[in-house]
Amino acid sequence: MTTTVLIVDDNRAFRALARMVLEAGGIEVVGEAGDAASGLDAARRLHPQVVLLDVRLPDADGLSIAAQFGDDETRPAVVAISTQDPRSLERRIGQSAVRGFIPKAELSVPRLLAVVGAAP
Amino acid sequence: MSRLRNLGILAAAIAAAAVAGALSSTASADRPLPAAIALHIAAGLLFVVVGLVIWTRTPGNRVGPLAIAIGFATFIDDLRFLPYSAAFTVADYFGPLQYALLAHLAVAFPGGRLRSRWDRRLVEGVYGWVLLSNLFPEVFWASALPAGPHNLLALHRDAHLHTIVGNVHQVLNVLVALLVIGTVWRHWTLASRPSRRAMAPVAWASGPVAVAIAASNSLGLVDPFGNLKAGTEYLTPAALIILPSAVLIGMLRTSLRHSAVGQLVVELRQAPSPARLRDTLAQTLRDPTLQLAYWVPQEGAYIGTDGRPVDLATVGPNVSTTLIERDDQRIAALLHESSLDEDPWLIDAVAAAAGLALDNERLHAELVAQLAEVRASRARIVEATDAARRRLERDLHDGAQQRLVGLALAVQMARDKLGATPEAQVREILDAAADQVVHALAELRELASGIHPAILTEAGLGPALESLAERAPLPVSVTVSVDGAPAPVEAAAYFLVCEALANVSKHANARSVSVCARREDACLVVEIIDDGVGGADASQGTGLRGMADRLAALDGRVSVVSPEGQGTHISARIPCALS
Repeated sequence: MTTTVLIVDDNRAFRALARMVLEAGGIEVVGEAGDAASGLDAARRLHPQVVLLDVRLPDADGLSIAAQFGDDETRPAVVAISTQDPRSLERRIGQSAVRGFIPKAELSVPRLLAVVGAAP
Repeated sequence: MSRLRNLGILAAAIAAAAVAGALSSTASADRPLPAAIALHIAAGLLFVVVGLVIWTRTPGNRVGPLAIAIGFATFIDDLRFLPYSAAFTVADYFGPLQYALLAHLAVAFPGGRLRSRWDRRLVEGVYGWVLLSNLFPEVFWASALPAGPHNLLALHRDAHLHTIVGNVHQVLNVLVALLVIGTVWRHWTLASRPSRRAMAPVAWASGPVAVAIAASNSLGLVDPFGNLKAGTEYLTPAALIILPSAVLIGMLRTSLRHSAVGQLVVELRQAPSPARLRDTLAQTLRDPTLQLAYWVPQEGAYIGTDGRPVDLATVGPNVSTTLIERDDQRIAALLHESSLDEDPWLIDAVAAAAGLALDNERLHAELVAQLAEVRASRARIVEATDAARRRLERDLHDGAQQRLVGLALAVQMARDKLGATPEAQVREILDAAADQVVHALAELRELASGIHPAILTEAGLGPALESLAERAPLPVSVTVSVDGAPAPVEAAAYFLVCEALANVSKHANARSVSVCARREDACLVVEIIDDGVGGADASQGTGLRGMADRLAALDGRVSVVSPEGQGTHISARIPCALS
């Protein structure tokens, strides 16, 4: 079964490239969203297995809304993505509900699967 | 100087009194009684002493010199006892001068100045009258004694004519006296309450003096044979002796009020509010109707303490205006009862004191306004700089960084697509390109973060400081118990910690650092403590200096304690309540 992914990022060009990267690796991108509100809304409708969540969204801080994805039955693996220095985010990522972190420039299918790991 | 002068005057007065006393001891039965002469001399001396006291206390007031002159004038009378005709003539002719001086004093009291044209004319007239009118009876009169000194002015001795001219002279004297009394009465009715306080004792004392002088003067009319003369001899000197005391009491009552001006100056030391200043001035001048109007240059008008413009050209009747100016600059105006103009010394002193206070207040207000302006502009500069940094960082993040991310992903994909195909050279090139992009991204990230830490805007000071701690090359413990400080305050705190941590890792050779941010009162307090070598100097190096300037722009303070070998303790306080 292919992994389904929702991309939440405010940069349209990145979303398009990320979709290309993921789909080239056999992952199904089920949706895209440009901000936190529409991202949460899309997640409720589409039930993706993985949410690629930008840390810096126009309407919210990605790390602090990570816990709001999913409900009691299905809970996607939220993976934070950012252009920021991962070292400066480490502690906050540890305290948040995200599964892991991938620098945007290093996004690849193997990297994503490694972070998601033994998917729930 | 004035002490020497006073001593000289006093010595002269005592000498004159002694001479007069000695002369009187030779008095014969026909001459005035010794006791009456003693009273007369005492009155003269008392006038001189009182005059000296007043002159010393209020050097600008002519009441003092006038009283001294009256004292000496009373001694002129006693020259008649010298066995010389010249002395007798001088005594007889100039003796009445004391009454002219008394009239002068009465009209000028208590300010010492003749304020109106009428007053000046009257006093000039009285002097003229006393000196000229005395000539006529003198011409016909030789002396009370057949032998001894006689009147040198007696050109035509005629007892009958002398009596007639003398009586007319006396009647006219009474008329002149009535004019003086009327003028003083008019002064009284127009006088302000404080002036009346000074005039009252003199007015009360003048009654008996006027009666006594009138009685002894009119004696010739009702008692041609001199039967009552002995009794009235006491009257004039006895009444005269009351007068200097009354003058002194009156002047002391004035100077009590003048000392209220001293009190006013003391009170004005603590810059009072406009309303309070008005009340204090009203109290000092004892004028409850007093108005204080401030000159407001922006309005080009005087504004009252109630905030309404005051037109000085249309003040009501009985209201006078005293302008308060300093260095030719208008400061304020006092609108007060016209009657206060009678005491120009008082109103000038009060205006000067008020001017001092108002000028201080004005300078203070200007300084405060300038300071506030400088502070506001510094804060605005910092805020504008912060905003520009945020914008720049945002632009980098949304623009160049995203493009590079895209480029990295594209290169990655191209590499993946190549797979295991043999174009090894192309693969190498792509690897190199990917490496370049990764480095470019990392450098851009650092640059953007140095311009403005995005995390500060997005997550606040705590996470921002923690991210700093994580990037530091040595263990940094962070304790942040503050949230929601104004953005410029958080930015200043962030950059301070940034600079401090950079210094620690460069120079301190420390094992660990603790960073603490908390709220104290209305301030954000940031402390950075390391266990390094110490010896840091805040005045050296531009980093901390720049931080101190940035903090100062927000009215914050930074202190650096760094004893050699005992680590460095940097502590900053930044007020959170920005104006």
